[in-house]
Amino acid sequence: MLKKKPSAILNQDKNKENELIERLIENKDLAYETLVRQYSVRMYTTARRFFYTDDDAQECLQKAFIQVFKNISSFKKNSQLSTWLHRITVNEALMMLRQKKRQNTTSLEVFSQRYNEYGERTVFADELGNNLEDTLSNNIEVLFEKSEAKLSLSEIIYQLPEKYCNVILLRDIQEMNTKETAEILAVSEASVKTQLHRARLLLRAILEQEDRASIESNWKVN
Amino acid sequence: MLMIKRLMTQHMPGMLTCEEVDGFLYDFHEGNLSYLEKFTFKLHLSMCRECRDYVEGYVNAIRIYQAGFIKTNQSTKIPEDLMQAILKSRTSK
Repeated sequence: MLKKKPSAILNQDKNKENELIERLIENKDLAYETLVRQYSVRMYTTARRFFYTDDDAQECLQKAFIQVFKNISSFKKNSQLSTWLHRITVNEALMMLRQKKRQNTTSLEVFSQRYNEYGERTVFADELGNNLEDTLSNNIEVLFEKSEAKLSLSEIIYQLPEKYCNVILLRDIQEMNTKETAEILAVSEASVKTQLHRARLLLRAILEQEDRASIESNWKVN
Repeated sequence: MLMIKRLMTQHMPGMLTCEEVDGFLYDFHEGNLSYLEKFTFKLHLSMCRECRDYVEGYVNAIRIYQAGFIKTNQSTKIPEDLMQAILKSRTSK
């Protein structure tokens, strides 16, 4: 039996997708059911990478579909449906994270790598020259309001300042490229690079302070 | 060793300082450095233990938190009641 060419399969998929969109715009119940059943796993996988509990990811999925239902009439037919759904899910996840986030997130933002007059690496310090190593363990406890329990990796990421948390989740966890990340966060690609680099440096500094083995064993697998 | 490193970074043409290594780190990890940039970056690492540890820590940190998130992403079954709730939310809006 002859195999179909990939482009033919792609065209067939696109035609099916266009038919589905038309039926959605016509408000056909069956079309909505098809949409939910066909795309929910993919959207859920995206949502799940933002949250460490199934409950949060499920809430995100539900909220994302509400947005889909509201906005399906404005969907541009020349766009890819899966890309549009992914974008909506990501936006909903970021919105949920924003709502969940405490306002007084980490003061670690002021920390940066310091160098001496020869450009040699010295310490990771704040603007006043306070060494991160001296203050970090205390800061983390105050900052994350966890006096006893060790932090899980996800909690550490979520407690980073919002711009760093978002960029880590989109670039390193969702593995979106710089351009897509910049579009979603409405910042320049240069900002994405700078923020991602700083976020990684912060996480590296925090992880080095925490007992890595303990973090990995405390990782919550649901 | 510190003096040798300092002499090299200050007087050897093309040698990077630790600060400059930091500036290259993001693009090194992303694989965006040119051949020459990568060469000078690695040359600095070869003689600077602090930077070697620093770069290793950076790469390890990314690996650790990525691996942690991947672990939590194995459950992708959508409960039927959630599907129904989603569909119901359309008609009840």
